Formats: sequence, C-alpha cells, structure tokens
Amino acid sequence: MAQTTIILSIVAVILIVINGKLNGRQYEGIKLGLNQFIRTIPIILGAFILAGIIEVMIPRDFVQNWLSKEAGLKGIVLGSFGGMLLAMGPYAFFPIVSTLMVSGAGLGTLISIITGWSLLSLSKAPFEIGFFGVEFTIKKTIYSIPLSLIAGFIAYIIELLVFT
Amino acid sequence: MKQSLIIIYLAAAILLIIGFLIGGSQMVVAGLNISINTAYRSFLMLLASFIIIGQLNVLLTAEVIEKWLQKFSGIKAIVVSALAGGLFPGGPYIYYPFVASFKEKKLPFYILTSFLFGKYIYDFSRIPLEASLVSPNIAFIRYLITFPIPIIVGLIVLRFFKDTPSYDYNLKAGEKDGSNNYNS
Repeated sequence: MAQTTIILSIVAVILIVINGKLNGRQYEGIKLGLNQFIRTIPIILGAFILAGIIEVMIPRDFVQNWLSKEAGLKGIVLGSFGGMLLAMGPYAFFPIVSTLMVSGAGLGTLISIITGWSLLSLSKAPFEIGFFGVEFTIKKTIYSIPLSLIAGFIAYIIELLVFT
Repeated sequence: MKQSLIIIYLAAAILLIIGFLIGGSQMVVAGLNISINTAYRSFLMLLASFIIIGQLNVLLTAEVIEKWLQKFSGIKAIVVSALAGGLFPGGPYIYYPFVASFKEKKLPFYILTSFLFGKYIYDFSRIPLEASLVSPNIAFIRYLITFPIPIIVGLIVLRFFKDTPSYDYNLKAGEKDGSNNYNS
C-alpha cells in the first residue's frame, strides 16, 4: 500500500509540473482535486463502513462456492450481473470489490464484476435513456453482457495458467 | 451524489442491523474496525488520487479532446476516440451532454460508441482509485484484458453501421433529420 501511495504521489507531482509548464493551472487543479475529495469523503466513509460489515458478514462457503476460482463460470456470470446491479460510483464500488478480493473471490469474478459495473451499471441507464433513447440503451446492454463475460473468462484462464 | 449517499448509508445501516442480529455487537465492532483501518490506511492514497484527478481535469479540457476527435477518421478515429473517452474528465453530468453534442459536430456513430465505451472501460482518472482501493495488480490485469473492448465495439459499429450518423439513434421511426453528409 505504501508503494502505491508513493507511485500515486509521484504521478501527482509529475502532472502538477506538466500543468505548471503547459497552462499554469496547477493550483486550480490541486484546488479542484481537494474540493472533490472533501465532497466525496462522506461517500467514501459510508462505502468503507459498508465494505467492512460485508467482509465480516459474507459467509466463507458462499465465497468458496460462488465467487472463488473454484466457482469457475458461476463466479463470472454472478460477477457480471452483480456489477450491473451495483449502481453506485467508483468511491463506493471499489471498496466493495476490495472486500470480495480479501474474502477470496477469484480473478475471473473480480474482473467480470469490474467490467460488468463499468459497462452495465444500472446507474448509467437514466442518462443513456435520456440522451440516446431506450433502444440504444437496450442494445448497448445486450451487446455488453458477452463482453463482460469474456473479460471474466480471460481473467479466469490467466488465473489458472499463471497464478496456479 | 446525495442519492448515492442515502443508498450507501441506508445499505450500511441495514447490514449493521443484520450483522448485530446474526453475530451480536462483536460482529458489528469487527466490521467497523476493518472500516476504520481501511480508512486510515487509504487516506494518503486517496488524497494523491484526487490531486491526480484534479490535475487531469485542468489538463484535458473538452476543447482539447474535441480537437482530437475532429482530426481523424476510420480505425485511427476509433482508437483516438476510445482513448479520448478514457481521458475525458468528469462524471455523467459532463460526458453525456458532451457525447450528445456529437450530433451538432457531425461526428459519425462509430466515434460516438468508441468514445462512450472508452469512457466506460478506460476512464483513466479512475486508475488511481482502482489501484488504491482494490489493488494495483488487479487494476493492471483488468486494463490489460479490457483494453481492446472499446476498439472492438468501434470496429463492429464501423463495419455494420458505417452509414449511421450520430443523431440516428435518437430519431423515432419515420422522423427525419435535416442534416446529412456526416462522414468525417
């Protein structure tokens, strides 16, 4: 975790320098980021509480049978549709994924849940319907389901070949 | 954001009650301890993540991305628009109206789809969050596996819906739009 913090801090400094050289708006960027951080803190804290309680409540048998590497395709299908149902922003979504990972979910399940959420999350539907219409939204959803399943399946194969 | 806040705290409250009923106060305290530890460990990472997000927001404005999109066509346009979608800053209130404006900009449908899928799959401003809140390795593998998705979707649309302009999906049957010549 310390390594990730260092890398992210280095990237932040590089971007500050780039903005300083290119447009002189680096302080505006810092202010914007900090404002967004402060506004998001309540959501992040709520998500951490949610993730913490899920972690202690989630039955090991359920993870083993439905979400782990051993669950195979079941985990991938459940992950894709689970991601679709998790209609929330990244600040709330990623702590929940982290909880599933800690609980023992397989790589295929994790990748399909993230891909399912990215492509299919129901929180996008009102915007898509509003801007592009119902037909576009339905077609996009139908075409996206296999993409999420394939992504999960590729991850599952990688886990079998590389991490076993 | 207010709605998300209500949903999350409501769900947390329900689960805390269920946790209390199943495992008593011990389970609730164990859950809250995990939450506090995660919050404590993640604070600096999140701070760095949001500074990156803020910097990306001022670096990559809608005008910069719009310029890129109008420069290319065909496969190049698909790759550029998918990457531009990933780089485009902001939430749904910002990028949906921007994508909807492709109609006025006379950009073809395959650019719209690859841009939208690029935003969904890549969203580069999400990398710091994904890496810090889940794991850098998972984030890396996920990006590697899903990287072709927006490009594949763009190619499919280019192949099968080449002549569909960006405005077409929004028209009802029999309705006509006055504009034409939408190829870039």
